[in-house]
Amino acid sequence: MKDLTLVLLAGVAAFIPRYFPMLFFSKRKIPDWFNEWMGFVPVSLFTALIVKQIFVTSTYAFSLGNVAAMISAVIVILIAYFTRSMTLSVVLGLAVMWGLTMLL
Amino acid sequence: MKKEQANWLAVLKIAMPLCLSYIPIGLACGVLLHAGGLNTWLIGLVSLIVYSGGAQFLIATMLTIHAPISQIVIMLFFLELRYALLGSSLSHYLKKSSHKFILGFAFSLNDENYAVNYLKFATDKFWTPGNALLVEHYALYTWAISNVIGSLIGSSLTINLVIVDFALTALFLFMVTMQVKRRLTLLTAILSGILSAFFCVTMKSTLGIVVATMLGSTAGFLADRFIRSMSPDSPLLYKVRGPSGTREMINDQALTEERLLDEQNEKTKDTKQP
Repeated sequence: MKDLTLVLLAGVAAFIPRYFPMLFFSKRKIPDWFNEWMGFVPVSLFTALIVKQIFVTSTYAFSLGNVAAMISAVIVILIAYFTRSMTLSVVLGLAVMWGLTMLL
Repeated sequence: MKKEQANWLAVLKIAMPLCLSYIPIGLACGVLLHAGGLNTWLIGLVSLIVYSGGAQFLIATMLTIHAPISQIVIMLFFLELRYALLGSSLSHYLKKSSHKFILGFAFSLNDENYAVNYLKFATDKFWTPGNALLVEHYALYTWAISNVIGSLIGSSLTINLVIVDFALTALFLFMVTMQVKRRLTLLTAILSGILSAFFCVTMKSTLGIVVATMLGSTAGFLADRFIRSMSPDSPLLYKVRGPSGTREMINDQALTEERLLDEQNEKTKDTKQP
């Protein structure tokens, strides 16, 4: 039930920004400031999530203890930068993470 | 488009590269949503009504860190706000369409089918809103089916949660790396990361992620405006150099429409590429 509520609300949250601006801006121009602001949203959100996953524990303490994830993260960034391939970045990242959790 | 060819088939050919690229991502997304605790029916439903890779990966992550529903929905809304841009930029091709059509069209809009349709509308004068909707639907069904199959795979495997969590982290790392095109964007990302750690720890809640995102993106936006008006030559506005042969991400096309059009005009009428 809780999950169904989540999914339905998620559907609403996904629908509103898709529909109303499309209707509204069919006769107006999109303001530049909105355009520019939205350009910074995904980067901020994804970094915030990454940092939470790697540096903040489930009890909300700051931690530098997740060494395997830290090393793997650097490797993923390098693979992403040089190959520009999502599949390679994720698959090789997972392989490194798996190897490191075995070793450390 | 050849006249002898049935329309649905011609449109399917255009949508095919998109559909094929959805299969692996959809499978992965289904596996991860299942690991986050959603059952197969709900994964099918979420793929149909949310229909966005980024948003569904966000839901999976927020579920694994036990964020409350309200926060998941707020973050999702914030992330999906970018569709306001995409939808608006297509809207003048839909002027003659009815409200009911726009409703259905908006419902199935996402980053990738936007890119295909934008390109087709801009370069093919025979491209109709009906064809565009058909592209959206082909991609939608491929996406939903891949998610459901992924979920079934996920339920038949026992997955190490530490590793699965890192799959999402790796995915977001990839997306950030792809989006950092200017030094200022890199600084915004770093700031947002620091804010995230700070607010998660001080607020003892995943709400810290929400706060960090709002502050980080606003700071980046304001800094960008300020620097451009005060010192347009600032090194902060320099581009980050990519390796040679860099390919643009589909998401960026909304922001680089003009350049896209220019490129397309240079090419001959080879409009098959999404």
